[in-house]
Amino acid sequence: MIETSLHQTTGTAATARGLTKTYGRGDAEVHALRGVDVDLPAGRFTAIMGPSGSGKSTLMHCLAGLDQPTAGAVEVAGVALQELDDTALTRFRRDHVGFVFQSFNLLPMLTAGQNILLPLELAGRKVGRDERARFEMVVEVLGLADRTGHLPSQLSGGQQQRVAIARALVAQPAIVFADEPTGNLDSTASAEVLDFLRHSVRELGQTVVMVTHELDAAAYADEVIVIADGRIARQLDQPSRDELVAALQGRGA
Amino acid sequence: MRTVILASMRRHTRRYVAATLAVVIGVTFIIVTNALSSAARDGMVSGLDAPYANADVVVSDLDGDQAASLLDRAEKEGAAASVLGWAWLPVSRDGTEFGDGVDVGALPRDNTMRWQELVDGRFPAVDDEAVVDANAAKGNDVHIGDTLTIGKGRDALDVEVVGTVDSPSAMVWTAVYLTQDAQARWLERSQINSVAWHGQGSVDDQISDLSSAYPDATVQTTDAFVSDQQKVATNGVDVLAIILLLFAAIAIATSVMVIANTFSILFAQRTRDFALLRCVGATRRQVLRSIRVEALLLGIGSSLLGLLAGTGLGVGLVALIRDRAPGARLGEVSFSPVWFAGAFLVGTAVTLVAAWLPTRRATRVSPLAALRPDTGVDARTASGRLRIALGVLMVEAGVLAMAAAIAATAVPVMVVGGLSTFFGVVVVGPVVVPALVRVAGSLAARLIGMPGRLATSNAVRNPRRTAATTASLLVGVTLTTAVLTGLASGRSIIDDEMATDHPLDASVSASTGGALPAGMLSEIRDLPAVEQAVELPGTSASIDHHVGGIRLVAPDADAGELMRSRRDFATPAADEIYLPADAVEDGKVPNKVTVTVGGHTRTLRVAEVDEDWGDVAVIAPSVLADLDRSPTTQAIWIRADLETDAEDFSGDLSAVASASDATVESSLGKWAFVDLQLDVMTGAIVGLLGIAVVIALIGIANTLGLSVLERGRENALLRALGLTRRQLRATLATEAVLLSVVATLLGTALGIGFAWVAVQTMLRSFVADVSMSLPLGQLAVVVLVSALAGLMACVLPARRAVRVTPATGLTME
Repeated sequence: MIETSLHQTTGTAATARGLTKTYGRGDAEVHALRGVDVDLPAGRFTAIMGPSGSGKSTLMHCLAGLDQPTAGAVEVAGVALQELDDTALTRFRRDHVGFVFQSFNLLPMLTAGQNILLPLELAGRKVGRDERARFEMVVEVLGLADRTGHLPSQLSGGQQQRVAIARALVAQPAIVFADEPTGNLDSTASAEVLDFLRHSVRELGQTVVMVTHELDAAAYADEVIVIADGRIARQLDQPSRDELVAALQGRGA
Repeated sequence: MRTVILASMRRHTRRYVAATLAVVIGVTFIIVTNALSSAARDGMVSGLDAPYANADVVVSDLDGDQAASLLDRAEKEGAAASVLGWAWLPVSRDGTEFGDGVDVGALPRDNTMRWQELVDGRFPAVDDEAVVDANAAKGNDVHIGDTLTIGKGRDALDVEVVGTVDSPSAMVWTAVYLTQDAQARWLERSQINSVAWHGQGSVDDQISDLSSAYPDATVQTTDAFVSDQQKVATNGVDVLAIILLLFAAIAIATSVMVIANTFSILFAQRTRDFALLRCVGATRRQVLRSIRVEALLLGIGSSLLGLLAGTGLGVGLVALIRDRAPGARLGEVSFSPVWFAGAFLVGTAVTLVAAWLPTRRATRVSPLAALRPDTGVDARTASGRLRIALGVLMVEAGVLAMAAAIAATAVPVMVVGGLSTFFGVVVVGPVVVPALVRVAGSLAARLIGMPGRLATSNAVRNPRRTAATTASLLVGVTLTTAVLTGLASGRSIIDDEMATDHPLDASVSASTGGALPAGMLSEIRDLPAVEQAVELPGTSASIDHHVGGIRLVAPDADAGELMRSRRDFATPAADEIYLPADAVEDGKVPNKVTVTVGGHTRTLRVAEVDEDWGDVAVIAPSVLADLDRSPTTQAIWIRADLETDAEDFSGDLSAVASASDATVESSLGKWAFVDLQLDVMTGAIVGLLGIAVVIALIGIANTLGLSVLERGRENALLRALGLTRRQLRATLATEAVLLSVVATLLGTALGIGFAWVAVQTMLRSFVADVSMSLPLGQLAVVVLVSALAGLMACVLPARRAVRVTPATGLTME
């Protein structure tokens, strides 16, 4: 078991060393990651940026234990992921990692409330008083109190993403990964969702790592990691918009 | 559009596997039927002419008396005659009867007419020798040197088996062949197929002579007779083929459901493809035509595969049967182009018909659908009220029709009512089946938690698909259950009839003049299979009307207790006597007989002539007391456990009886024979229906497999959120089991209901008191097997589902 306080006291929530991911073989070989070393600070909102095909999604998948890297080591919340088998890895995700995806975040046959409580149910955890209180709090903060009985198809895109955030936060994970969470949303809904993510870092002490290719989204982050051609190009602390544009265009210049 | 069709067929090959299999199985079934029926026909027809090879003319349509007189005539005229016929007689070895009787025929007097081919040993030289058919001997474990007792009572004849023979003709072969003179004592009550005749003079003269001598009989040239026989044999095979085709039709109907469901799922998944085609300029008609051509190609391909598979399987199956069961008399397989064309057309047409409705629905998509964001698969709303109303109406009409059918014992009305009810249930399926799945699912959720709940919501989220998937299994299970229940009820009726015909399980009778020793009763009571046994006092008597010397027994009320039916039977009235059937000459039953014991005589009314209580006559105790002051134990009557092996039981009983030279009768072999026949029939029908069930299970596996593909991202999401591989597997397994078990339970309920209606309608006219008996064990096996099959159905889809890493799954289209 990992102490819940661990990720708040140590400086890093996740680290990767020499992370390499190769798809296909021979002529069709594609190097998505070419030896990435990265430390993701705890209690911070980190954005991973890069053009499409740069390997940012692959990096996230490997960091979150959704995919096995070809080589290299990943440690999340003090646990070395490469040493876990599939079942242990699944249990680890369920207990310590939260997810928000670009789309198709919710199970269509479950209500918003059921979707939010799904990780707890999958872990076989009883929804006791503490969990109920956390659920009420998260739902309240995300403005979903009157929406928990609705099916995903009865919710707007922004509402669906907020349900996904609520689900990611309810189990108090060590780290939340968000993969293009605003990719399918209009600007108002995007701002709302990003506000909530930042809010969860600032007020609730969560660690959030967001993959995005949108400058506006990255501007919400405390720290931005720019990735290009499967390598870390730049790591910027609260960059300005101009710094970001330069970093993306100059590819590390 | 051709590039589109070919590309999409290539891309979706794996998804068409189940539909292909369903068609292949249906077509294979037809071709195998062709193989079996052609082999059966060849087996029936070939060798039919063997008994007539040296005959000039054949006399048929005659009875045993006429056959006997023909033999006399042949003797006088110096002609050769061979009687092709048989008597159905009890045949026993060491007191144990073979089955419910054996057909006993004759070898022609004249060796030139002999058509049986010697396999082993030799032909009989004297009248107490016999040959047996080689296949029948093998089946009943009879060997050269065995002594068989042919017939019973006064006509009984002990013969030694001296050889085994092949009997080329399927129409007139018998299990045992005696010499013509030995068989003559049963000739009058023999069933006569024909008499082969080789006389003096031209064929025409012989025909006119015999025709004038036997005006009722048919006298033909050998060729004319053989060709008539071939027609009769072929008709029998045709009936068999039609029955097999009926089962093929059931299998094909199931295939239609599976294919239609496959297409509607596939097309639902490809809605965006179709919309995109529309966007880039394809007309609705073009899209429609493209997928119909796809269905046509699929149908043609699968039908061709089915022809191949059916040819291979048919040839193999016939070879196997010929090797393992030569008694089945299968000949050479000959495939007919008509059957091939028919099977091919059926397979192709079935595919096209099954694809028709789904294609119409699929192409109603608007071009805009391609541009909408992917919202995943929508849960479809339950079906319209009209549909429910229609279904309920069909069920109501069907039930009414079945009620009317019972009242009027009208079988066609019953069939129509049953069909209407069944299809009514299928029509309301999208409402009923998900509701049942939810109920069963809540149980599953309680047992295995989250996977159970996920499985339930997955299973019910598309009610129409759920209903269509279960409907195909419903067909097979309903029919299987109905047949099992119907046959079980029929079996209990047959058992009742058996109990009426054979009220006494077994008896031991003293040899003439003696009495049974005092200790025998307790010895018999100690035998494991004996439930009850009583001693019967009696004496030796002689009776007029050619009955002659016989033993009389007088059972008391105790003896009535062990009868399987007609308990009063054991106690005749004071002026009555029951005679054993074998004691009455030529079946001419006298009204009254005079019984003499020593100096005493009584005239008694013959109230019953029957068999199965041994070679004794039955009278009332008061009559016995009048006739003989000091009666002795003449018989022991026994009630046995019917589950006991008949041979073992007779053996045990004979061992006890042989010490005092007593004779043993047992009807257990007849019970076992009837049981075996019913078991074989049940097995055959269930096996044939099993093919439809297999197709339905392929359908379930297919639906599950396609759903797994469709839910790739959902499953990936669940895996990302912490669903372990094992839990994902459990979810899919539960879904499959829920579908198969719900279909099975519904089908079982329907099947029992239909069986009840059928029993009431069809058997009530034969049996006054029709009771249903539920074969609970068999029904439980049906449910269990379908649950297991459901588990098997999920193996492949589950393997595919768990192999996908969450990262890959999330990026799936």
